[in-house]
Amino acid sequence: MELSKYGVTLKRLTEDKIELVRQWRNNPKIQQYMEYREYITEEMQKNWFQKINNDNNYYFIIVYNNKEIGLINIKNIDYEKGTGEPGIFIWDDEYINSDVTIRASCCQGDFIWNTLKLNELHIHVLKSNKRAIQYNKFFGYELTKNQENKENQEYILTRENMLKNYKKTERLIKTIIKN
Amino acid sequence: MDINEFITHFAEQFEETELSEFKPETKFKELDEYCSLIALKLIAMVDEEYDITIKGNDIRNSNTIEDLFNIVKNKE
Repeated sequence: MELSKYGVTLKRLTEDKIELVRQWRNNPKIQQYMEYREYITEEMQKNWFQKINNDNNYYFIIVYNNKEIGLINIKNIDYEKGTGEPGIFIWDDEYINSDVTIRASCCQGDFIWNTLKLNELHIHVLKSNKRAIQYNKFFGYELTKNQENKENQEYILTRENMLKNYKKTERLIKTIIKN
Repeated sequence: MDINEFITHFAEQFEETELSEFKPETKFKELDEYCSLIALKLIAMVDEEYDITIKGNDIRNSNTIEDLFNIVKNKE
């Protein structure tokens, strides 16, 4: 399964790529932003893949300019409640903090809102990860109640807030399409 | 095209960074607030203010504000 839009291709994670993901996921530069920061073994990775390789979880390798540069996902999808938990990490230094992150997020966003038709997204962001907080707030995520003092804080984006924010994000989406 | 005006537009894409931080020699990717969102806002700003299209590559190839200014100026 592949999603191609906004100049990026998202290729659904397959078993032959889980070792690549594991290597990067164990890299301290990625690990520092994750809630789970212990070393992930090959066996743990294989077990994890067996648990997520289904319709309740979509993990995609982000491909840009024919390079595999990161991973984006929507996990723990509850189709009855219309909820899921998106996430992203970029391992290629050339593309960290670049427009490609937003291209990938918009590509997956179209899949989440229009294909999966989810209505509410939940994320957890470390309080220390200011860039991620700023990024997610821009798209309309709001801190949930009683999270102020937690290290790993929960934010929610409802479909309503996503649409309310669309005017603001439209300028950027137009830029992505144009470029 | 004037670099001071460019710096003003550049700074407008940030919300929290002090104006005094923005100088021609500023390595903008080292600013705390800099993220992928700002990268895209800069591309949109150049398009809107100067009617010039720059790519993500142009941002990636720039270290300082002046580097980006020169790239934009050369596309005039």
